[in-house]
Amino acid sequence: MKNMKPMTRALWLLLFGLLAGYGVGLGLDLLVGGRVNFTASIAGLFSLLIGVALFFLGLVGYRTIARAIVWQIAGTLGGALFVTAIRALMGLKAISPPFLFVEPAWVFGGLTGVICFLLGHGVVDDWIKMARGIEVPECRADAPGWQKYYSPSLDHKVIGVQYIITALILLVLGGSFALIFRTELASSGLQFLTTNFKLFNQNGLQFYNTLMSLHGMIMIVSILLGIAGLMNYLVPLLIGAHDMAFPRLNAFSFWIAPPAAVLLLASLILGGFDTGWTGYPPLSAKAPIGMQMFFLGVFVAGWSSILGALNLIATVVRMRAKGMVAFRMPIFVWASIATSLIALTATQLIGLSFQLVMFQRLFGMGFFDPAKGGNPILFQHLFWFYSHPAVYVFILPGLGIVSELLPVFVRKPLFGYKWIAMSSLAIALVGFFVWAHHMFTSGMNEYLRVPFMYSTLLVAVPTGVKFFSWVATLWKGKITTPTPMLFVLGAIVVFLMGGLSGPPNATVSTDLHLHDTYWIVGHFHDTLFGGFVFPFFAALYYWFPKATGRRMNEKLGKLHFWLMTPSFLVLSLGMMRIGLLGMRRRIGDYDPLQGFDATHLVLTIAGFAIALSILIFIVNLVISLKRGEPAAGNLWNSRSPEWQAPSPLPAHNYDTPFEVVGEPYDYGLPGSKYVEFAKK
Amino acid sequence: MTHTQDKSSALAQGLTVFIFLAVLTALEFGIALLVNSVVLLALVALVKAGLVVYYYMRIYKLNQEEHEEGRDSYAYKTGTSRLGLWLFLLSDSFVFGGLLISRFNLLGLTRPHLNQFLGLAVTSVLLISSFFMNRAETSIAHGDQKGFLNGTLITMILGVFFVAGVVGLEWQLAQVEQIFASGDSAGAIFYMMTGMHAFHVLTGVILLFTVWNKGRKGLYSAGKHWGVEAATVYWHFVDVVWIFFYPALYLIGALR
Repeated sequence: MKNMKPMTRALWLLLFGLLAGYGVGLGLDLLVGGRVNFTASIAGLFSLLIGVALFFLGLVGYRTIARAIVWQIAGTLGGALFVTAIRALMGLKAISPPFLFVEPAWVFGGLTGVICFLLGHGVVDDWIKMARGIEVPECRADAPGWQKYYSPSLDHKVIGVQYIITALILLVLGGSFALIFRTELASSGLQFLTTNFKLFNQNGLQFYNTLMSLHGMIMIVSILLGIAGLMNYLVPLLIGAHDMAFPRLNAFSFWIAPPAAVLLLASLILGGFDTGWTGYPPLSAKAPIGMQMFFLGVFVAGWSSILGALNLIATVVRMRAKGMVAFRMPIFVWASIATSLIALTATQLIGLSFQLVMFQRLFGMGFFDPAKGGNPILFQHLFWFYSHPAVYVFILPGLGIVSELLPVFVRKPLFGYKWIAMSSLAIALVGFFVWAHHMFTSGMNEYLRVPFMYSTLLVAVPTGVKFFSWVATLWKGKITTPTPMLFVLGAIVVFLMGGLSGPPNATVSTDLHLHDTYWIVGHFHDTLFGGFVFPFFAALYYWFPKATGRRMNEKLGKLHFWLMTPSFLVLSLGMMRIGLLGMRRRIGDYDPLQGFDATHLVLTIAGFAIALSILIFIVNLVISLKRGEPAAGNLWNSRSPEWQAPSPLPAHNYDTPFEVVGEPYDYGLPGSKYVEFAKK
Repeated sequence: MTHTQDKSSALAQGLTVFIFLAVLTALEFGIALLVNSVVLLALVALVKAGLVVYYYMRIYKLNQEEHEEGRDSYAYKTGTSRLGLWLFLLSDSFVFGGLLISRFNLLGLTRPHLNQFLGLAVTSVLLISSFFMNRAETSIAHGDQKGFLNGTLITMILGVFFVAGVVGLEWQLAQVEQIFASGDSAGAIFYMMTGMHAFHVLTGVILLFTVWNKGRKGLYSAGKHWGVEAATVYWHFVDVVWIFFYPALYLIGALR
């Protein structure tokens, strides 16, 4: 074992852990349930956890992330056993099939597991020392090489990369969930997710529901981590700061996300749940234990979002370079501020709403139980107060990327800089007053419908400002189309479709027909691809050389774009088409007489084509990391400060501070300058 | 007004604010007894919260300029930390705001049958703790280690009393009144609001303990005491939350 490469050793240990964990779980399940169940939840959970733990043990040894996962497993079991013991002493049901522990034990165990992950990882060590009055150094050097990416590094660039890699892993995971249920949908009738299908104590129909629900939430967490990664990596560079305002909090914000992801995955295994990503009671008050793991996972992930946003706002307010007044900040910084204001405040309410349902399940508290005088609609208000503004959290940084990159590849000033800066804030602000448009059919008070309709339609105004700016910027520009620019243009087209399909949902009369149809699914996939996925890839292709000193392969990049874009357009337009014709969302089967079979088959093929394009991207990423064409200088001929310094940048970024002396986007104006670096 | 005061006038200011808060609390109780006007109660609560936020939490410090001392100075970094703390409190206040809205959604203008004497008692305990917290911070800002340690210790003890009063007594007495967590939604929201608040008081006590412990080792001085300030502001924030929760649970509306 000693002579192997770490990755080979890790993969062997992964295989061994999966099998060993499966065996252990199977045995435990046999002990409790009294019969052999090869698809038992416990077997799946132990297999996954021990597999992942051994994988990281093989990769980095018993420290940082490996120790964290071992501690999380121990903490989960410890917490669950603690509650189980108390229940046993009280004479309550303690150990029972099918999930070994009962629900309160799993919830408590999940929580202690997260805390133990953080303790085991070492990301809170400094804070514990500080609380005990022990001096800790302001900053510390990272472990050399790739080990730093598993450790609680304080460097915002390392943390940014950690975020982005985690986001990509979750993107692949959530995408593969979609492929599974998309395959089931390819023709009418149930093909493989039938009632005979058994996995993790779910039959095929339940498993469909779980996959569909988790696809939503895993993608949302992936997007949140993706934008956090971009903001973490870019904002300090763009404003000339040496790091984020609170580096320890920054590391904490990232490292609280992986245990949350583990909890979300555990929800799939522990019986799943069938509410969709929204988790509405009363259904969510009755769903299996998986529901609780889902709520807990989202709750913990929410803290990552909140604390990251806090850090970002403090960084931008306090650490800008000399001369960078508000209206000379890059557009991406404006967008990050707008997004962070929402994430900082509104996220608390999804946390609260999920927490209330958790307590309703655990303690019988009747917040949303009409039989106890509770109000299920209240949940929807609390939930959407976050979850609508959240979509602006997802798209605003992406739209910022579009505005950021467009002038670089058009060689013209960005049209209407101030308007576009303010439009991000306007979207964020208006976004707080539109939530009930998700509830037109919910049975809420009818007089709320019209005000929420108008406030929602109002969002189109600042969004329109962005489009006018982009079109005017493109107008008569010297357009070049390397891969990042292709994705920028793709983002504009796709987001336009997402935007145009929005007003019909905002208008009460049409929404009553469109609510809960595939039209909605098509609409939000358009906005999220246009607002996040395309700009995210544009940003990765664009700043990859900054992070690594090498550029990504152009040919593979273009192949990625030209495969993904048409496939995606087919997918979203097809979804909208069958939605208008009456295809309901969130169901595993449909009537063949509706005539959707052909369209669904095309959608499934398009889905797999998108997956293939993502695979090409990942291959490109891995290859370019080692063998990409070296690109240390100002590859894109940008005015932005980070490109005036060599790639990759060292810890604490710039050798000498810079001063802002001009406008950020005056491309093509001779003699104009944005930043000036101090002489050494 | 000037914010650089000598110690005795700073302590006097803390006392004056405390007296105002006490009178307003009594007024609040009187309003509930005599006219039970929601608008008046909300107004009094807002005035109380405003007094605490300005004079005890010193929100105006956010506006201070520390630029002349350079970005690596302790003063500038403290300013950044202060902004971070206030952003956290802004975020946290959305939880409590959500709970308040849920309370009015579920109960409307009715309130559960709670022990009024106990409610007033725990409210007073928290109010007095804020007074001592203010004394502790004022003391360390003027280099008085002993006053700071004593003030923190008293605050901590009062905080423990508050939690004991709410969780240990009030929750038991409420069950005598047939208010159960698993009963109707009124019970649920009562336990949720008091429980969430008590959890915050408890974290505040833990924060105060670490500050007190570090203070015993002499790690704070008149010039460097950001830890004390942070714990103080957090403690007062928890007090502000109770300023709204107390009338919402005990005073507003008719008995159910």
